[in-house]
Amino acid sequence: MLFQLLVTGLVVGSIYALVALGFVLIYKASDCINFSQGEFLLVGAYVSLTLVAAYDVPFLLAVGLTLCLAVVLGVLVERLVLRPFIGEPVISVIMATIGLSSLMRGIIQLFWGTETRVFPAIFPQEPVAVGGAVVSQVYLWSLALAVLLLIILSLFFKFTTTGIVMRAVADDQQAALSMGISVKKVFAITWAIAAVVAAVGGVLLGNINGVNSSLAHLGLKVLPVAILGGLDSVPGAIIGGFFIGVLENLAGGYLDPVLGGGVKEVFPFVILVVILLIRPYGLFGKEIIERV
Amino acid sequence: MRYKALWVALLCAFLSVALVAAGCGKKKEAAAPTHETKEPVKIGGIFDLTGGTGDVGEPYAKGANAYIDYINSKGGINGRQVDLIDFDYKYDKTKAVEIYNKLVKQDKVTAILGWGTGDTEALKQIIAGDKIPYISGSYSEGLLDINQCPYNFLVAASYSDQARIAMKWIKDNWNSSEKPKIAFVFNDTPFGRSPIDDAKKFAVENGFEIVADEVVDLKALDATTQVLDLKQKKADFAIIQGTSNLTATVLKDAKKNGVTTQFIGLNWAADEKVIQLAGDAAEGYIGVIPFAFPYEDVPGMAAIKEYLASQGEKLEEINQKFVQGWCSTMVMLEGVKRAGDNLTGEGIKAGLESLSEFDTGGLSAPVTFTPESHRGSEKVRLAKVTNGKFEYITDWVGYK
Amino acid sequence: MRLRFPFVMDCGLYTTSYQEDMAILFAPGAKVKVAGITAFFLLFPHLMNGLLGDSGLYYVSVLNLIAVAVIGALGLNILTGFTGQISIGHGAFMGVGAYTVGVLTTKLGLSYWLALPLAGVTAAVVGAFFGIPSLRLKGLYLAIATLAAQVIIEYTIIHCPSLTGGSAGIVLQIPSLGSVSLASDTAFYYFVLIVVIVAVVSTLNLFRTRVGRAFMAVRDRDIAAAVMGINLLKYKVMAFGLSAFYAGIAGALLVTYNRVITPEAFTVEVSIQYLAMIIIGGLGSVMGSIYGAAFMTLLPIFLREFADFLGNYFPNVEQSLLAMETVFFGLIIILFLIFEPEGLAKLWKDIKNYFRLWPFSY
Repeated sequence: MLFQLLVTGLVVGSIYALVALGFVLIYKASDCINFSQGEFLLVGAYVSLTLVAAYDVPFLLAVGLTLCLAVVLGVLVERLVLRPFIGEPVISVIMATIGLSSLMRGIIQLFWGTETRVFPAIFPQEPVAVGGAVVSQVYLWSLALAVLLLIILSLFFKFTTTGIVMRAVADDQQAALSMGISVKKVFAITWAIAAVVAAVGGVLLGNINGVNSSLAHLGLKVLPVAILGGLDSVPGAIIGGFFIGVLENLAGGYLDPVLGGGVKEVFPFVILVVILLIRPYGLFGKEIIERV
Repeated sequence: MRYKALWVALLCAFLSVALVAAGCGKKKEAAAPTHETKEPVKIGGIFDLTGGTGDVGEPYAKGANAYIDYINSKGGINGRQVDLIDFDYKYDKTKAVEIYNKLVKQDKVTAILGWGTGDTEALKQIIAGDKIPYISGSYSEGLLDINQCPYNFLVAASYSDQARIAMKWIKDNWNSSEKPKIAFVFNDTPFGRSPIDDAKKFAVENGFEIVADEVVDLKALDATTQVLDLKQKKADFAIIQGTSNLTATVLKDAKKNGVTTQFIGLNWAADEKVIQLAGDAAEGYIGVIPFAFPYEDVPGMAAIKEYLASQGEKLEEINQKFVQGWCSTMVMLEGVKRAGDNLTGEGIKAGLESLSEFDTGGLSAPVTFTPESHRGSEKVRLAKVTNGKFEYITDWVGYK
Repeated sequence: MRLRFPFVMDCGLYTTSYQEDMAILFAPGAKVKVAGITAFFLLFPHLMNGLLGDSGLYYVSVLNLIAVAVIGALGLNILTGFTGQISIGHGAFMGVGAYTVGVLTTKLGLSYWLALPLAGVTAAVVGAFFGIPSLRLKGLYLAIATLAAQVIIEYTIIHCPSLTGGSAGIVLQIPSLGSVSLASDTAFYYFVLIVVIVAVVSTLNLFRTRVGRAFMAVRDRDIAAAVMGINLLKYKVMAFGLSAFYAGIAGALLVTYNRVITPEAFTVEVSIQYLAMIIIGGLGSVMGSIYGAAFMTLLPIFLREFADFLGNYFPNVEQSLLAMETVFFGLIIILFLIFEPEGLAKLWKDIKNYFRLWPFSY
């Protein structure tokens, strides 16, 4: 039981990590949290599903097209919605992304309705045995992808010019501006990357048991992950994802029978409160929070 | 400043269009009765098209609308057209109460076709006070208390009865000397919890061993922890009280994790959509079926076929929940018909209570209401998914 | 005393004493206007009844919902608009109030009229408790902390079925005042109207007191406020408590009107809706809370009528009505934030000023 819960937690955590990565990227560059991350995920899932199921596009090509669309969507959203809020108070930015999530949710519902849709089986459905515990293969793929993305993004931030520029903007916007860096362009790139990461998460999640609007709730559910890892730390998001995944599964496994179900949903938030009170900047975040 | 003027203008334009539209909508409604000789009968509808149970609620609402269209095309009821004023309440009890108030206070409907257990139970006192005959998609045992809910009618066997019938079937087909281990999979809503207590009582009385309660969300896309728990506790049978989506998720995750429990779903957890969503994982799944499938050859299906043909649709495009909505509306309108010109809540109630072994043309078990009991039927059929299709394994059976 | 030359228009307000400057009814004619508006609302049910007969009741019921929303929005505005602390937990605080009334009247048999203020108090205590993190957290982090409060309170409500009825909720007995039962829309209307008037006036007055000024100082710059001798702990927690008190009363009134207490009425979406109300109405504006509450309550109703109208031409449009509602909700929040961050209150003021100064606007 314990081992099975640990394994399940780890693989579920890999998906949390993927989604949390989107939060972290945007926070890193623009100091704001994207409350519509869940909807970005949903768009990715639905678009790839429609391409595969309705237009018979090969899966990999469909994923490629979805990612291209995610880039366009990310840039578009940044340009139309977020740009007017550069330098505005936090509450405006928060509300803008909340409004955006509502807007996107409505549009998604207009296009795809609210019913569950399923992917044609792409990953093998048979479970894999890992030392006595069983894991469904989709989860293993997401684990691999999360690790891959982590490596790619770390290298990207470390070695490419764009990555360095993004770090510079995250560090100090004014200094970056005075170095001739276009902050607006960096924001656009950030949103594009975040949208891509969310879309990848959406495609993977959609392959587990199908797609419906409840996937978008993951956007909020993953907040504790991002906070635990530190809102501005890429490795933090990954480790936080695994940590929360394992913890909530253990809590679900052992506390659910006692408390009557649903512990899994609330447990991450209890952890969240504890983290906020003890270490608001998270495990790996920079300690720049202003103390009152 | 330039933008701002534009923005203010836009806002004003939107508001004025909405206002004008609201006014026009009213006029159109008011103009309608002049075509008829008698005033139309107004029936309210509180349906779930996009909420937690939208997967089964949408075809149900379609079926209800379809039957009313069909009746109107046949000249209506006692020479009156039927006007269905329906809204989507998104499986939100508060919204249901709001819509109920609107239907009763503003639209002045005489009867209502409702939907969920939670909202119907929450409304039952108010319904009794307003004297609105109410047939909802909920077959909760809690709505059968004739003193508390004199205006609620249940067209099919209650959820508790359905669970009892399923367990009786298990007992009749159980060959081992050990006690059968049974688990319950449900969602945390009044709908999900409705039959659980009664079912457990029945299980204990009939020598079952209850091993687990699993709570799965209606829109869940993951039930790994829950099915693993079933596996660990070695449940032989699990009764599912949920809708298509929840059921498909449970079945799929059970297959992925090598769980061998035999799942049995009550009414809303068993329809073609489960098979469509779960694919292979649905093989061997057993459903409790109180209403007919569209592919069955029963007399009542002819009218549905005729209606669909007039709309350019085919029987293959609808599912069992459509039939269920059609059939429930048929029962409601039969009550209206028997009320004659006494189109009050009491009149329709009396009309419904005069139904005895009312034949829906094989679309459901015969429906009987009396002033003492609004339990329309106690019988269902069980069906097993074989080669991607529900095949009946019993005839109409009760548990007694 | 004000000296006026009778043949020129006013181009400003000239107060000569501190008392005059602090008056709520600031401008000349304001008293007449306020009296007129109050009279209109007092006569509203009769007016509707006279004009539309029985179906006029529906408009009274819409006004009832608006009134409840006004109280909730006022509460959130005290916290977010005036004290600058973001809260995504307002819906849950409303839930606390609602369930307090439910539990006290149905389980303990307490009188409704005692339970109602207790609902506010309980919500205030819970709100103040969840406001404590605001001492260490600001802005974004505080928003997330209040979101956590929302999730935790919701979970507690659903998972204490013995007390709260779980997901099935509680059905409330309709209270009556003397021989008048609050079951009818009109009776409830007069009751809630009084509560709204009390709430509005006391909020207006709050910001003429030391406490209110301290709130605003905290909002403008908390460090500066602390330097001036404002105890941040005390005032931040007080703002949370006060805001939750309003929320608790609003929640209790809402369920009194609906007669049913269910967890769905107090989800995070409700919190967001209230945030939207104060943003669209105007942050830090009492009148804005009223405009915003009215706007957000009327929006879905207008959309429904609009869809009804369109439904005559496009039969399937009603199916996507709720989706359209979500789209409009999001769109309006974003548009207001971009083009009119100070909300309807500012818009209304601009329009008034435009006509007041017309044709010589500057």
